[in-house]
Amino acid sequence: MPVEGGVVISFARMNRILALDVRNRRAHVQPGVINLDVSKHAAESDLFFAPDPSSQKISTIGGNIATNAGGPHCLSYGTTVNHVLGLEIVDEHGEVFTTDLDGPGYDLTAAMVGSEGTLGIVTSAWVRLLQLPETVRVWLAAFGDVDSASAAVSAIVAAGIVPTALEMMDAVITRAVEAAFHAGYPTDAAAVLLIENAGFADDMDACEAAVEAIAKDHGAISWRTAAGAVERDALWAGRKGAAGATGRIAPNYYTQDVCVPRSKLPQALRAVDAATTAHGIVVGNVFHAGDGNLHPLLMYDKRNLKQVAAVVESGNAILQAAIDLGGTISGEHGIGFEKREAMTQVYSTADLATMARVRDVFDPTRALNPEKIFPRGTRCPEVAPPADPTARSA
Amino acid sequence: MTALERAAPESVTELSDLVAGCDAVERKILIVGGNTLNGMGFPPERADLTIETRRIAGTASYEPSDLTLAVKCGTAIQALAASLAPHGQFVPFDAPRPQYATVGGTLSSGWLGPRRHLYGRPRDYVIGTTVVLADGTIARAGGMVVKNVAGYDMSRLYVGSFGTLGILAQANLKTLVAPQHSRVFLARLPEGTRSRAFAHVASLRIQPAAAFWIDGFDLTVDGDDGDDGRVLILLEGSAALLERATRDLRSALGGAGVPETRIVDAGARESFQRTVDAYVATLGERSVTYRIFAFPERSEAIVRSISERARHFGLRCEAIVDLMNGDVIARVSDADALALGAKIEAFDDGLHEIQPGAQVIASEHPHRQYLRVWGQVPASIERMRALKLRFDPHRTLNPGRFVGGI
Repeated sequence: MPVEGGVVISFARMNRILALDVRNRRAHVQPGVINLDVSKHAAESDLFFAPDPSSQKISTIGGNIATNAGGPHCLSYGTTVNHVLGLEIVDEHGEVFTTDLDGPGYDLTAAMVGSEGTLGIVTSAWVRLLQLPETVRVWLAAFGDVDSASAAVSAIVAAGIVPTALEMMDAVITRAVEAAFHAGYPTDAAAVLLIENAGFADDMDACEAAVEAIAKDHGAISWRTAAGAVERDALWAGRKGAAGATGRIAPNYYTQDVCVPRSKLPQALRAVDAATTAHGIVVGNVFHAGDGNLHPLLMYDKRNLKQVAAVVESGNAILQAAIDLGGTISGEHGIGFEKREAMTQVYSTADLATMARVRDVFDPTRALNPEKIFPRGTRCPEVAPPADPTARSA
Repeated sequence: MTALERAAPESVTELSDLVAGCDAVERKILIVGGNTLNGMGFPPERADLTIETRRIAGTASYEPSDLTLAVKCGTAIQALAASLAPHGQFVPFDAPRPQYATVGGTLSSGWLGPRRHLYGRPRDYVIGTTVVLADGTIARAGGMVVKNVAGYDMSRLYVGSFGTLGILAQANLKTLVAPQHSRVFLARLPEGTRSRAFAHVASLRIQPAAAFWIDGFDLTVDGDDGDDGRVLILLEGSAALLERATRDLRSALGGAGVPETRIVDAGARESFQRTVDAYVATLGERSVTYRIFAFPERSEAIVRSISERARHFGLRCEAIVDLMNGDVIARVSDADALALGAKIEAFDDGLHEIQPGAQVIASEHPHRQYLRVWGQVPASIERMRALKLRFDPHRTLNPGRFVGGI
């Protein structure tokens, strides 16, 4: 959203897959290509694009690159930055330049990915594709309370098991999802874990036995293996449609996005509960538990200004709690305009000024996505944009 | 070239004071870790002070249950591995000579090892950094969480920057659960089997952790060459997976016309490490080792063309091809330093005509400074220079060592 006026550039028409290089497992795509379309296109060649944000049916590769998007499967495959091999970028003067992950010199690809469009405008990308796994198994573990479920997650990771995806949903979410999609989630549990492992058949039984044992040790009240592709897909469709399903609970929701060390998950969820209960807000938790990446959905009605204020305060309390637990203020959604002031809570002035040096090089006049990421005002004068009015109007 | 004056600070603050002091009076700093990759990059254009990072060492914090660790950058890779091993964890950095190589040097050099096709690049394990900038600023980036998009990804920018943007003082890393078993396959390739062996290994469903085709390196790397060289393949995983992978690999090599394979279980990791060490093993002053990043389908043709060119110059050429990633390592040598010196510049010119990206990764020959050690200058060099200027305007840190003389 343009916060200071200016020009909005849409990539809706730069939406072509320019090349699919099966032998070298890569694709050349324009920024407006829908994330899921890359995997659909590559599936014919037994390949897929690993980053899979829940929004993948509508989110674009350009947006994924700008925010370094994650998704459930980045637990084992890594976020978008792990899958970008090179970029073509237009700078603030309209000049085109390229980055190449395997070329010598600074890793400009990494600087661009996750920079929220503040360092340049991506006009095409070479992305890495992975071979589709031979075997996929999905398990569902239900728990009588949220604490046990989050303790189970920490224990799975601590045991050295990193499945392909390890997601958690609380009862508020599973009930909404079931009402909307009939995806197959139990509605009588306080929390469920959706666990997926992809790989080779030879390893699958051992992995299943180990995860099931940990879940049961932590008081799982039920354990189920998805019967086949149809059941798996239904569970995933429910998971990825969870945020939309909450429309049945309240007219609006606000998604917070924080990340904490994985062993701190139980404390973090207790903090979310405390922060929302204190303000009388209904919260639903649906998140990437294996990464410690929380997504509490705070339900409210935007016509009710008191509720809006309460959501803002709860959101800030959750941010603070994540920081106090050694975490960060965004795991995968980015900073944007909304969280830029909170940057000073995780970084020192020197840290932010160092980041700003990169911006000075690529966007000295702050023409690209102004007012994003960097805090303004008296709290951090060193990183405010240069006060050069002629440069800004250029 | 090293500076006569040396310093080995013990803390980040001491390092910061030292760097700021140099920067203020325009003294140039050469940064050294374990001295294992000195053969990479240009020699420094000037060095008034050599800073050794080895005393800024040790684990700052380790949470095995989070699979994260914060390590000071002078720590040797082997020492890092030793602190992770009791918890069944590792980081897949695959640095040559890990007993000397430091975390900071491995990351700063942008080292890429052979297991990256399976486990990812070292940069993808760095979740946070502490660096000392040229003006002495101590800057932190990232944190101790595995997903973090708060601000620019400064950590990945420092990785591979050759110390020219700042000196890495600490790295926060994701760790991995170590594979349960390792197994090495060795096989001599009979005449005429090379192409098929390359193709068959590359198309294995269960990908090896590493697969090398080797020609030469007799004393450093295990196995003996057949007429078409030899292969050394590392499998990693559970016992069940290894059993299947072993069958598949035997049949793949058999199908390529390679009748006999030898399996090494005890010492498999060491055998793999010796191969990685060979990447930077020099023959005193009489060798230069090049590295070319290629797609696997191109690597055989590249090796052939380099060998032909070496033969044309009367140089010996030994090679390692990383069959999974496509990297070609070619060590050219002659009888003595003088003989090599007479030919190497002409060879380097010719090599870059056919392989513009070829980089020098190991050499003690004095003529190294005249070679195109970084290969062709990247298209975005001016932006890289601008970045250097903004981070290190006086060119205090490792001046001249990096791409394009940055």
